Amino acid sequence: MQKKHVGILLVMPALVFTLACFLLPVLALLLEAFQIDGGAWGLQRFVAFFGDPLNRQVFLRTLRIAVLVTLSAVLLGYPAAQAAAKVAPRYRGLMLGMMILPLMVSPIARTYAWIVLLGRNGAVNSALQALGLSDEPQRLLFSELAVYVGLLQLLLPLMLMSLVGALENLPRDVTHAAATLGANAWQTFCKVTLPLTQEGLIVGGTLVFTGCVTAYVTPALLGGPKVLMLETLLYQKVSVESDFGSANVIAVILVVMTLMVNAGLKRISSSRSKV
Amino acid sequence: MKNTLPYLFAGGLALLAAGSAQAEKRTLVISAYPIAQPLFAKHVYEPFKARCGCDIVVETGNNADRIAKLEAHRASPVIDLVLLSDFGMLEAANKGLVAPLDYAKLKNYGQIYNFAKNPIGGNFAVGYTIYSVGLVYRSDKVSGIKSWQDLWRSDLKGRISLPDVSTTQGPLMLQMADLAWGGKGDDYATGMQKIAAIKNNVVTFSKNSAQLSSLFAQDEIWAAPVARFTWSQLLKTGMPLKWAIPAEGQAAGMNVMGIVSQSKNADLAYQLIDFWLSKEVQTALAMDLVDSPVNQQVVLPKDKAEFNTYGAEQIRSLKFVKPELILKQRSNWIAQWNKAISK
Repeated sequence: MQKKHVGILLVMPALVFTLACFLLPVLALLLEAFQIDGGAWGLQRFVAFFGDPLNRQVFLRTLRIAVLVTLSAVLLGYPAAQAAAKVAPRYRGLMLGMMILPLMVSPIARTYAWIVLLGRNGAVNSALQALGLSDEPQRLLFSELAVYVGLLQLLLPLMLMSLVGALENLPRDVTHAAATLGANAWQTFCKVTLPLTQEGLIVGGTLVFTGCVTAYVTPALLGGPKVLMLETLLYQKVSVESDFGSANVIAVILVVMTLMVNAGLKRISSSRSKV
Repeated sequence: MKNTLPYLFAGGLALLAAGSAQAEKRTLVISAYPIAQPLFAKHVYEPFKARCGCDIVVETGNNADRIAKLEAHRASPVIDLVLLSDFGMLEAANKGLVAPLDYAKLKNYGQIYNFAKNPIGGNFAVGYTIYSVGLVYRSDKVSGIKSWQDLWRSDLKGRISLPDVSTTQGPLMLQMADLAWGGKGDDYATGMQKIAAIKNNVVTFSKNSAQLSSLFAQDEIWAAPVARFTWSQLLKTGMPLKWAIPAEGQAAGMNVMGIVSQSKNADLAYQLIDFWLSKEVQTALAMDLVDSPVNQQVVLPKDKAEFNTYGAEQIRSLKFVKPELILKQRSNWIAQWNKAISK
């Protein structure tokens, strides 16, 4: 048997399973969003969805929070990942373990911890008052800020893991060479490190963005009905109103958002590599 | 080998016999809320299994999930007995998913409150538990909570939580707000406007009783509408809390039971409904603070009565929202609510 055939045979069980139990059902579900009453096909459901000012507002809020969390994860992730990649191998395992520790705690427990921390009598408000930054407790919970903080903590480890993987594969000589040739740290990062670790950035960015637009527990508990997002709206449509048509439309929008962000990140990285 | 054959043969026969006995044992499938299932097993399912010689399988979920499942198995139902909110059962009845009941088959039917009898019309259901929604407040922080209008007081600004309209208690709150502020229509437009006007006073629109408990426990809120079945849980927060029955009355909710259309075990389902409505079972469930009784013969000691919707004062105060009104208006209310609250 040829090597190629062995490969196909090996991948077949997983492929059949994914096709039958995931892709086909999801595809069938998503296709319903394009079916209008009477069985015809069209985009009417999407036109109706975006015709409602509330839905537009919820869509923009979801996009805004997801973009902000993804950018923040990149900004916080790169320095931390570089530090992890540079430490001696015997400490690296410990550092990586600490990075992924939040992933080992249930999202519900983590979110409830934020409810305590961001509450009127929580640590954040106490610190603000102790530092003289505020005279009275601020309303931090049940706000966009709370959702942003909760999602960032939830998803930052995914960005870190992707970047650490990419940075570990970065030959050390190239940054030394850049420094020898007179580049400062910022120039080295922009011209050398970033282009050579862009795959990790794309994977991390897509994972964080997708996590933001699909997480339910965090926006539901830290935002509540005042901070309605696409995922909480989807839940409301399915579980309260049994409005599967609108839920399908939202599901399609979420998938398209994720695909577009992935494509956008790839485009940015390929245009950078051409520079 | 020779010697073992007769034993194998005898063993096989015994297995076959056991299998056929197993096949004869009927199974009643119940669709219920997930809450307190171990206590339902203790007080209802296990004693009933011993009586009927049958098995019970329980499938749990919320109203919408379970109605969707009933619909998916419409042609050959897998559920026999379904427990839903009154408006959830009306939705199921409108879709032809439950069959009309013959109340004459229920010996204990005469003992239940009138409002639990035929609660959604068409003989489709029987009420098995009720709950009131009154006002709970911090007695060390606020005083004089006597009316639903007090939730609009300036000293409670930023210190209240109201149920979200998408929850079961949401429409009940909307009803009381409408009633308190002189609303006239069936659409509760006045209540909706009044709640929207104080949305910035509301810490959050709560989704469940656990969230309400944590809000009280962390000193986030000082007053909120609370369902009676949550009361004992709230007192465990250690906060000085009091229950007020407002002058306009308390909102009331009811859960009901119905038999699924074309159920092959309707006879067993009738027996279980009757057992569930009996004084013994209703008392046991109320004593463990699972469900408040609808059987009027139930007598509860004071320490248990406190945590149930029970007693003349509680029952007199109840204001039920018509299930047909919730079904008709719910999507409209949610749309208006989202627009008004989620800005």
